[in-house]
Amino acid sequence: MNAVETLNPTNLAQALKAKANKNVVAVAGGTDLLVRLHDRITQPWPKLLILENVKELHKITVTKTAITIGPSMTFSEIENSAILRKKALQLVTAAASAGSVQIRNRATIGGNIANGSPAGDTIPPLYVLEAILELSSAKGKRTVPIEKFFTGPGKTVLKPTELITAIKIPNRSNHGFFMRLATRKALAISKVSVAVNIIMNKSKVESAKIALGAVAPTVIRATLTEEYLRGKEINQAIIDEAARIVQDEARPIDDIRSLAIYRKEMVGVLLKRGLESVTTNG
Amino acid sequence: MSSDLTPKIKFRLNGIDMEKEVPAGWTLLRYLREELGLTGTKCGCEIGECGACTVLMNGKPVNSCLVMAPQIENASIWTIEGVTPPGGTALHPVQKAFIECDAVHCGFCTPGMVMTTIGLLLQNKKPDNSQIKQALAGNLCRCTGYIQIFEAVRLAAAMISENDMRPFRENISEN
Repeated sequence: MNAVETLNPTNLAQALKAKANKNVVAVAGGTDLLVRLHDRITQPWPKLLILENVKELHKITVTKTAITIGPSMTFSEIENSAILRKKALQLVTAAASAGSVQIRNRATIGGNIANGSPAGDTIPPLYVLEAILELSSAKGKRTVPIEKFFTGPGKTVLKPTELITAIKIPNRSNHGFFMRLATRKALAISKVSVAVNIIMNKSKVESAKIALGAVAPTVIRATLTEEYLRGKEINQAIIDEAARIVQDEARPIDDIRSLAIYRKEMVGVLLKRGLESVTTNG
Repeated sequence: MSSDLTPKIKFRLNGIDMEKEVPAGWTLLRYLREELGLTGTKCGCEIGECGACTVLMNGKPVNSCLVMAPQIENASIWTIEGVTPPGGTALHPVQKAFIECDAVHCGFCTPGMVMTTIGLLLQNKKPDNSQIKQALAGNLCRCTGYIQIFEAVRLAAAMISENDMRPFRENISEN
């Protein structure tokens, strides 16, 4: 754990220049990275790029059409953002339910995405909010829809020379929920999570977007369930059937946190609870 | 931009401006305990699960085991050593409340509990029971003391004045 080199840029241009060296690992809040590094105390550490002082990455900007979230925004800041509470409640709920106060005060949304865990709590909300990621390197930038970002557990299309520099979601009202299940309410990684964004036309579902966390190698959309709900008038029978369909869309595994059979069952339960709450709240 | 092995950085610790070379690969926890001798901040799990190492960073409770020492550049850090009002032998009202309510058993979790409580009361002067439980969810006590600890937080909330909290307010960013 000795002889570590850190780079501490004060602006984005410096940070991207430092990241051009692909052996540099970016550290934002460090709540995932330092746990991983702690476990490999005897191996050499990578060179760490501290993003703490890069102010460009630490803000929310709002236009008529889009809300742009800086990747260094912490879970606490997302939890307390007035605009996100109004326009992205799924994301706010997810940020508020992860970790502990101490973790939320440090963990960032960009870090949660870059970490690439299928159990990352902000990811299902970002799927149903149709987030677009801006990835930048010293050479330029590109945009990637969040659903195209992940390629497997801990694996993403982010190149070693790139940083996530913005997370963009449409600026519009939406209806929906985020629910998770874990061993305890605080400080436990999700066994299962479900995020939904639903547009109602009077009493009928115009469209529903459903994302499932921790039940596949990446967060996935439940497209068959979405298709089933489209145009339907929501009632208990429809909700029960949607909960049945969504179970078959989950592709969970047995691991240290839970069993596949339980996860499948619980995906249905969470969707059911959420849809019931959405429809009773209007 | 510094890239030395031990970058020299500025920060504020318990209200005092510092400019020091900090070991780049050390956590803030290790730096506080092994370099600065501030052993009130406890080393428990070192992976952000137990909260024994909680300090305030810009007014917010954080796990010092998950902060790299160089990350505190320009930040204001408060540890349990800074909580007692300077000069005197008096305790801070939050500390008094913990004693009053018998919220201390072995004492290992107490510094972290106190720092998290101060962080909560900085944001919310009159937390309800559920807010207190949520705020302290990241601080484990293995002596079975939670009931007394929640009582202590309620008592602290009733006892503190703005004067008791002002020192910790500097450098708090707007959300």
